[in-house]
Amino acid sequence: MNKFAVLQLSGCAGCEVSLLNAEEWIRQHRLVYMPLVLSAYDVPQVDILLVSGGVRTDEDLYKLRWAARRAGQVVAVGTCAISGGVPSLGDRDEVRELFIAQEERRHVPRLLPRCSPIDTVVDVALYLPGCPPTPELFMAALTQPAEFEASTIVCQECGRKKLKDMRPTHLVGFQKGEMMPDVCLINQGFLCIGSSTRGGCRAPCPRAGHPCVGCRGPSDVLIERESSAWFTSIQRIFGTLTDIPAEEVEAGLRSPQYALFLFQFSDYAAAERPPRPKEKVL
Amino acid sequence: MPKLTFPLSRIEGHAQVVIEVQNGEVISARFQATEFRGFEYLVQGVPAEQMVVIVPRICGVCSTAHHVAAVKTLEEIYGVTPPPMGQKIRELLMLGQIVQNQATSLFIFTMPDRLGIASIYELAQATGADEARARIATRALRVREVGTHLITTAGGQFIHPVKAVIGGVTSGIGTEQAAAMREEAIAALPVACELFDAYWEMSVALKERIGTWGDDAPTCYIAAVADTRPDYTGTNIRVMCSEGQVRDVFAACDFRDYLAYEETDYSYASRTSYQGEIMRANSLARINMAQAMGTPRADEYLARFREAFGRPAHAILLYDLARGIELVYALERVAEILAEPLAGEDTAIPYSPRDGEGYGLVEAPRGPLIHYYVVENGLIVHAQFIIPTVHNVRAIERALRVAAERYITPERVDLELEHAVGRVVRAFDPCIACATH
Repeated sequence: MNKFAVLQLSGCAGCEVSLLNAEEWIRQHRLVYMPLVLSAYDVPQVDILLVSGGVRTDEDLYKLRWAARRAGQVVAVGTCAISGGVPSLGDRDEVRELFIAQEERRHVPRLLPRCSPIDTVVDVALYLPGCPPTPELFMAALTQPAEFEASTIVCQECGRKKLKDMRPTHLVGFQKGEMMPDVCLINQGFLCIGSSTRGGCRAPCPRAGHPCVGCRGPSDVLIERESSAWFTSIQRIFGTLTDIPAEEVEAGLRSPQYALFLFQFSDYAAAERPPRPKEKVL
Repeated sequence: MPKLTFPLSRIEGHAQVVIEVQNGEVISARFQATEFRGFEYLVQGVPAEQMVVIVPRICGVCSTAHHVAAVKTLEEIYGVTPPPMGQKIRELLMLGQIVQNQATSLFIFTMPDRLGIASIYELAQATGADEARARIATRALRVREVGTHLITTAGGQFIHPVKAVIGGVTSGIGTEQAAAMREEAIAALPVACELFDAYWEMSVALKERIGTWGDDAPTCYIAAVADTRPDYTGTNIRVMCSEGQVRDVFAACDFRDYLAYEETDYSYASRTSYQGEIMRANSLARINMAQAMGTPRADEYLARFREAFGRPAHAILLYDLARGIELVYALERVAEILAEPLAGEDTAIPYSPRDGEGYGLVEAPRGPLIHYYVVENGLIVHAQFIIPTVHNVRAIERALRVAAERYITPERVDLELEHAVGRVVRAFDPCIACATH
């Protein structure tokens, strides 16, 4: 039986909870380290090390380096581990200044200057995108079945209809009181980026009426290209479906806290590293 | 000064306990939260309506509570009240969270302490002679799964749900889907009761072995549910004094008049006190305040609990038994709600965004959770998250001290202390991701 460990860095434990929902691994793998559900002092030698959360503190950095050295394979689990996730919103300059206020706390792990993806520290064999990744992705990572098919885009799973004759002229807010249940959110003027975001989540957000914020990162078509390609692709979709001025969409996408930046773009845009190869992203 | 450091597991998030000892005397017992992401800072400048999707990411275990709290905060700012159907579905969502959380705490976090194992998953993989015990594990995981299905049904996604929106919820629950979910809850109820009975016995056996139910100093309690048929979407906050009378009832917006905040240099979590006193939140607080649960099986357990431990019950290991009562109640209550029509169209009302400030309150599994936002030009300029675990930090530290004094003498440190530290912390089921946010 393969041994695997789950190392949680700075994150929310949502990835771990999602793994608990993918229970079929119980019969195939031996879980030897996962503080959330198991008492063990240290990460032992393992075949697979799943890492969730970003590298936020010096302790995160130490634990990651230590554990990765004893692992056959490191898998980056979830948006925070892959690209910083929501916590990386804290890397805006004005927020960083506020973080300095935490310096007076002396008996706790020190905060690093920024929250980093784990592949800035260790080699990653496989990426499981999503906030959180679905239980199916965990199973695919643990069993690595040959028949596993990478998903396409969120749009294809959303089920809302794109209309030719409904062309908004301006972006509306993030949400609004009334929303048409079956019509594409872009037709309704929302900044939804499901058209360029990796699918496989079954589109719970746009189905429920929340524009896709791109938590699963770029689709296969875009993943190995520079971040401007992602921008251009979204612009093109808005150009096809709406009469919203390109500058308005651009400003929306580039505003520091807006949708795209929320989960992925801040990292993909500023990456000093080469892009993640698509065969490594489930 | 010698320091004993205990890393913690089977809790949500990163924390440790540090006990300082001098000449066999316990100098201090500290509960240290060792992670920090800074949500109060990083949401500054975020479009207010986006909070509903961002704040669940504070915690993957408690995401439902944050989701609903954010929606309620913005509803107060925008001056809208969701229609009854929307509120009903939110109640269901919060009940799903109670089922999921209490099952996780009972079976995944604390049952291993009673069985003397490292993890319930170890048990689930057992074969041969241990197969009877393995059955406990697999059934426990099934009960937990009902909670996850409920959250998916009512919230759209189990972790970081999305269906609660300002003004209500995005959609109702279809008749067939509701009926299937109801069947699942009804089928889980006897399994949950059987497991809880076994858990109760294991807990009594544990008490026999160690000779205590833990720190039982009279303490006051805080919760945001009514005293019967608890609705975890939250009403007013109530404080029960240590003798059992309700001493204060206040709205979320007045919390500063009753709760005092304190930061420490040894933890990323702050801690609160109620008029200078230690207080306790979470299951034991709610069960102590309950006149009745309002559903048959849960009321049987409540009566049994009262008979055995009185009211209010103060010993900390009773938190775990209180969680069992709530698990049973939630399954029963879910079956009641799912029998009502939930497929209607009137699940939400329209709203117009506006600036202002507001408070949103829910009773999360760990106690009253308050969100407070100030919105200017449609953007968040200030946000504060009042986390239930923070209300318990001083109670946790006192209970740790009680345990430390029991097992540390001038001659030696009893190795049972390590287990005791784990049991004390897990009784409070703290959530560190939330507490530090």
